[in-house]
Amino acid sequence: MLRMSWAGFLERWTLFVGAALAVCLGVALVQSSLLLLISAATLDPPAGLGAGDRMRFAMHAEASIAVIALVLAFSVLLAVFVISSTFAFTVAQRRRDLALLRLVGGSPGHVRRLLLGEAVLLGAIGVITGVPAGLAVMEFQSWLLVTLGFVPPGFAGEWRGWILAVSAGAGLGLAVAGVLVAARRAARVRPLEALRETGEATRVMTAGRWALALLFVAGAVTLTILSPIGGPVGGQAMASTAAIPAVLALTVLAPVLVPAAALLLPIRPGSVLGELARANLRDSVRRSASTAGPLIVLVGLVLAQAGAGTSFTAAAQAEQREHTAADLVVEATGPLRVADVPGVAAASTEVEVPVTITTGSGEDQDTSVEPALVVDPAAYTLAHPGSGSLTALRGRAAAAGPGADEVSAGDRIEVRFTEGAFRVPVVAAVPTTIAGGAELLLPRDLVADALLADAPSHTFVSLRPGADPSAVRAALGQVGTVWEVDTWLARDGAARQATSNAVFVVIMGLGAVYALIGVVNSGVIAAAARRREFAEARATGLTRGQVVRLALTESFGVTAVALLLGGLAAGASFAGVLGTTSAVTGSGTLALPWGLVAAVVVVAFLATGATSVITSWSATRGRPVTLLAARE
Amino acid sequence: MGRVPADPYVRRMTLTTTTAAAVSLRGVSRTYGAGPAAVRAVDGVDLAFAPGTWTAVMGPSGSGKSTLLNCAAGLEQVDSGQVLLGDVDLARASEAELTALRRTRIGMVFQSFNLIGSLTAEQNVALPLKLAGRRPPRADVLGVLAAVGLGDRARHRPRELSGGQQQRVAIARAMVTRPDVLFADEPTGALDSTAARTVLDLMRSMADQGQTIVMVTHDPAAAARADAVVFLRDGRVADRLTGPDARTVADRLVELEH
Repeated sequence: MLRMSWAGFLERWTLFVGAALAVCLGVALVQSSLLLLISAATLDPPAGLGAGDRMRFAMHAEASIAVIALVLAFSVLLAVFVISSTFAFTVAQRRRDLALLRLVGGSPGHVRRLLLGEAVLLGAIGVITGVPAGLAVMEFQSWLLVTLGFVPPGFAGEWRGWILAVSAGAGLGLAVAGVLVAARRAARVRPLEALRETGEATRVMTAGRWALALLFVAGAVTLTILSPIGGPVGGQAMASTAAIPAVLALTVLAPVLVPAAALLLPIRPGSVLGELARANLRDSVRRSASTAGPLIVLVGLVLAQAGAGTSFTAAAQAEQREHTAADLVVEATGPLRVADVPGVAAASTEVEVPVTITTGSGEDQDTSVEPALVVDPAAYTLAHPGSGSLTALRGRAAAAGPGADEVSAGDRIEVRFTEGAFRVPVVAAVPTTIAGGAELLLPRDLVADALLADAPSHTFVSLRPGADPSAVRAALGQVGTVWEVDTWLARDGAARQATSNAVFVVIMGLGAVYALIGVVNSGVIAAAARRREFAEARATGLTRGQVVRLALTESFGVTAVALLLGGLAAGASFAGVLGTTSAVTGSGTLALPWGLVAAVVVVAFLATGATSVITSWSATRGRPVTLLAARE
Repeated sequence: MGRVPADPYVRRMTLTTTTAAAVSLRGVSRTYGAGPAAVRAVDGVDLAFAPGTWTAVMGPSGSGKSTLLNCAAGLEQVDSGQVLLGDVDLARASEAELTALRRTRIGMVFQSFNLIGSLTAEQNVALPLKLAGRRPPRADVLGVLAAVGLGDRARHRPRELSGGQQQRVAIARAMVTRPDVLFADEPTGALDSTAARTVLDLMRSMADQGQTIVMVTHDPAAAARADAVVFLRDGRVADRLTGPDARTVADRLVELEH
């Protein structure tokens, strides 16, 4: 059987190169992300850091680990999807071969073993090439993480011996899992199908497929509906991820949706090629669906992640503006005494200190390093309208901050600074915001002076009516850097957008490239099986150029439909974004990165168009008569 | 009209009356589609193919020849009736039983040779035995290839062979299991006349050595090489002819099409 697998291999190499490439890159991406995650999680602070800096380092590392964990999650998701769909497609494309095998006495078991044999072979090739490729990917991802400031310079992913087992398991496991379902279906192929030249005899949408689609739709709907009541943190997470089950649902439903949507494509009346292309799209359900699948995933995930990022950033900026009542902001180190500067009506100095928080007790105990703000409660409520009352925040007490995620009013928690630990009640909570920020607000009394002295601070300053702004600015300039509040908010928003962009690039960058390769792959696999069909079309009177244009038209049709469906899937996230922002800030915000949307559209058409032209041109080499005569 | 039947043929025709048929169809019907669009491709056919005879099945396009052949070979499910291969009823056999029969007792040859393109001639021929879990000695496989005149083409892949050669590889593949019956669907349909003659000569000598063959064809010259011809029209047996010659077959066919 293995000999036959090998022979089948050599024969259909274009088909299999694509499948092996999918495994190779999937393994590389997963291996690299996993190693980076482990390396980041075990990263020790540089020697010689003070206690405060060490806590700041730990806080930063926690955020980076969360981002790298997302990178890993997306890598796994894409690897599972791209590998399994590529393998399923290669099996579907070889129905005739498999029916032939059945015709000469092959049992369903033979077909299954043959396909699994191939999957193991391809998986092995993918793993052997994927492990070294993973090292190259890790170099690149490390560089990206350093450049974007997620990890300190000099950070590098470290090799672990056991990763070989993980990569081998992932590559082989995903390849085998990918063909398992397809092989079961293929094993049921009737021998007589080998004799039928045209059309697919089987239904593509099975009961199992419908059930799976329903499950994913339910997942997307649930996340979208729940995101407005998930609070700012949960809501943002749910809204961003709602597109994931949505793209999966649409790819599972693609055999129904793509041919139906093909009806919507504008085709010039009387255009023979256009009508033929549309008929092909609607008739070759499996091919249309399989080529649209990776593109739906790519477009859906990229648009959802980017769109959610820009929208939440825009919402955060608007929210910050609304929640800030000040004229100037002073950035400095340590607590400032500026209330007695002439012309200053009020000033809220907020000092950023990292704090180790322990919530719960026993089994549920959870410890993390979180940002806290040391504030003057009265000044804080003046500078941030809508914060509610913080009068209880004095002595040994804490309040849940605008970025509270772990704590809420009524909890008893332990807060630990570089020196000294206290058990304190959480006596109040300011409204949580999209912008997030401090987990805790702490009163001045709780924190040692020494700790405050070298911590960064910002002070929101309101001017007295009639005060001379330039005089006040000059006076405040003595103690720190002074900004107009609008400028400061704009800078803050820009920094937030930069972070959001960086997260997007890290998470989706390589993933998008991988998905794009999946798109090209499925285009190549689809064309590989069409030599004969193209030859027939030419024998019917189409020129070679017309055949290539026909293939291009079909491919643009699939691309347009896939963009539409990808956009629809991203819509699940956008609905979640609108729900979350309007629940948290009172007004729904959706800001789409139109430049990126345009880029996605252009890249999608370029990639599928180029693939289609190249593959159909090469598939129409030789005279049609020769192609038609060549039988297998 | 008609020629005097050759001696061996008469002997075998006598045998059919006394021994069980290799394959027999009893009241076999097969309908495609449903409702007003339903087409009854095979309509209550009773036929018996005697062991060691070569029977050609003819008829106009759409007369149900190929469906009949597929039903007889167990490739197509029948709606009603029995398909007896020896004492096994193919109409009631499970998919696993049919698969096993394809490896042991049924050989098939098609117009489109249906060889596996990635395997050499030798590997294609050995395939049914390997699928049955046997390791055929190489000499046996080469022997079968030599019997179809392709002893020197064992290592060639299908695309490196002419149409006639590919069809002979397909016949070798069908014969390697020493099947009870060889079913052939338009075996010369895609061949030029020289290649077709070589294939028909091969089949004639196989039949002379006692191989039961059931062959669907359009070509009166091909049918004339068989021992008997069954004519179908609209899914029913319309006529039979023993010891056919090409002209008689052609005339009958023309009559049927009117």
